[in-house]
Amino acid sequence: MNSIIIDGLVFALPLFIMAMGGIFSERSGVTNLALEGLQGFGAFTGAFAAVMIGTVSPDMSPTAIMLLALVFAVVGGVLFSLIHALLCIKLNADMVISGVVINILSMAFTEFLTKLINAGIFNMPSNKFVLTVTDKITVPGISKIPILGAVFTNLYIFEIIIAVIAVVAWFLLYKTKYGMHLRASGDNPHALDAAGINVAKTRLFAVMISGAFSGFAGMCFAYSISSSFSSTIYVGYGYIAIAALIFGNWNILPTFGACLIFGFARSGGYKLVQALEMPSSYQDLVMILPYVLTLVLLIFFSKRNRAPRALGVIYDKGAR
Amino acid sequence: MNKNRIIKLIPVFTVLAGFIVGGIIIAATGSNPFTAFWNLIQGCGLAPKASYAGKKGMITDLLSFIDLWTPMILASLSVAVAMRVGLFNIGVSGQMLFSGFIATVVVGYSGLDAFIAKPLVIVVGIVAGAFAGGIIGFLKFKFNINEVVSSIMLNYTFSYVISFFINTFLVDPVSRQSKAVSAASRLTLKDVELGAYKMDIPLGIVIAVIAVIVIWIFFNKTVSGMELKAVGLSNSAARYAGMSVNGNIMKAMMIAGALAGLAGVTYYLGYFGSIQPRVLPATGFDSIAVALLGNNQPIGIVFASFLITVLSKGSTYMNSASGVQAEIANVITGIILLFCACNAFIKWYIANRDTTTKKGFKRKSKKADKDGGAIAEADDKKGEV
Repeated sequence: MNSIIIDGLVFALPLFIMAMGGIFSERSGVTNLALEGLQGFGAFTGAFAAVMIGTVSPDMSPTAIMLLALVFAVVGGVLFSLIHALLCIKLNADMVISGVVINILSMAFTEFLTKLINAGIFNMPSNKFVLTVTDKITVPGISKIPILGAVFTNLYIFEIIIAVIAVVAWFLLYKTKYGMHLRASGDNPHALDAAGINVAKTRLFAVMISGAFSGFAGMCFAYSISSSFSSTIYVGYGYIAIAALIFGNWNILPTFGACLIFGFARSGGYKLVQALEMPSSYQDLVMILPYVLTLVLLIFFSKRNRAPRALGVIYDKGAR
Repeated sequence: MNKNRIIKLIPVFTVLAGFIVGGIIIAATGSNPFTAFWNLIQGCGLAPKASYAGKKGMITDLLSFIDLWTPMILASLSVAVAMRVGLFNIGVSGQMLFSGFIATVVVGYSGLDAFIAKPLVIVVGIVAGAFAGGIIGFLKFKFNINEVVSSIMLNYTFSYVISFFINTFLVDPVSRQSKAVSAASRLTLKDVELGAYKMDIPLGIVIAVIAVIVIWIFFNKTVSGMELKAVGLSNSAARYAGMSVNGNIMKAMMIAGALAGLAGVTYYLGYFGSIQPRVLPATGFDSIAVALLGNNQPIGIVFASFLITVLSKGSTYMNSASGVQAEIANVITGIILLFCACNAFIKWYIANRDTTTKKGFKRKSKKADKDGGAIAEADDKKGEV
């Protein structure tokens, strides 16, 4: 039971922060299917930084490297998200197409660069960056509480950071002036414009936040799932995050709930395969759980949900 | 030059831009881009290589290239048909895998005679693909689920479930793939000796050619094809004109699925002959590039798919001949795609370059532009998932 909670959270929290990024972008009116590519590119820059730092200063503690890697992942995610912002805000491209194109581009670029860098700098023909395993934290005292204590056991540092960011992001979106502008930009950009706020800037900042959050999430996945970066990072988590935010009706708290369901379904499924001592090929059947669950949840919640009114619509000053 | 002619040439510039950027990257890694691009062409049997292994020649490479080109054409047509009603069928990979798997199980392992098996493979491919595509259409109109999200979810679901069946029941212990299908059911005649050369005869290309013609007629000459377009441009206008929006979405997705299914059988029971577990065919994703590049028109797709297949097929030889990483092909495809995504802007820019200079007027004039379809499309996307 404990391991279900521990593993579930390790999957759910990065998914949550990515979905949160998606919420920022979509609440501002920019459809963001690019989350998948953003998290991949973020993970790539972060992992590259981690490997470089590890080579340059081998004495540095794995935890410090991980923190730096997360910073670089955020930077990478933001930089790549600028392409999406440019296409959707400035060049009036179809937002859905732009998102998918960015995913394909990100996959192609990172795969190419990883091989190139490995061959060129580290002199080995490998298609992945191997990351060092980091220590996990167990909060003394609280972790002894049955069941609930598992939440505080074997935590990656990034899980704590995500919790902090989540609170800040919630505050930013719902309690600040900027958050209100952002939401207005997704529901009624003309009103926002009339109030003297620059819609393009508001949206640009929102897309950059989604890039930052996705990059962070990608790095977390790289650490927690395979302790390495390779093209296997692209297994649709970005799309699951999108499903989570749709299920959460573009609001942060319900989205968190959706992410927890995905996380626990996944870890629970793995546990089940282990417990029943099924051969490893049965793991494939467990792997489909998040995807099938996404579809089932969407079936129940899509109709009832209300997307931001101006979502996916290019802001056109002259339109009535 | 007049504006319309420039607009028609945009795809050419897009491709050129992709190759220029790709060429710069190749040059930056220390190889000669022109040699690399020439290698791409050689690898596809469109130009003679320096040397060939026994019984192999340009014709061998060329036919193998056509064998891979076939599913690319079909898959891209699938994307184009879905795009016609404004849906983005990113699930081509999953539909290909699904129909390929079903056809493999139903026909590939049966001892049927070639004359029954081959047509049966095609029929099974169409039916299975239409079913897989239909699911997405159904989810779209019944529950308003974004087709991109649902098709990605289905892609992974198909991939893992099929991987489970292959690994549990059908695995070939040596190749770690599914057991090879019978020669009778394959849509490629393997190792045929003609004269001095051995080659694979791709029968699937006939299907692809027929599909291109049929879809061209469907798009341009039938009421049904025009209805799809009307629904794609504006849901509400089509509804007021008395068309069934749901019916058209379903129809388009089933046709798209059927085409993807054909792509699947020509890929798995033609080019390969077995299925690799846990891998979604790259053709399915490249087909998006092809459809965008080909402007979702059958004729455009023939040229675009040719180009993208040259990239993906020739990259292996390029890698062995001049040491350039094969992955550069994907990068070039990606860059071409990126420029494609800006097409709407470039078109609008060219069309409005001379008429307006003030920034404020530019945006407004786009409405009047005949390419205003993009806006109508965006309007329809509003409010969906």
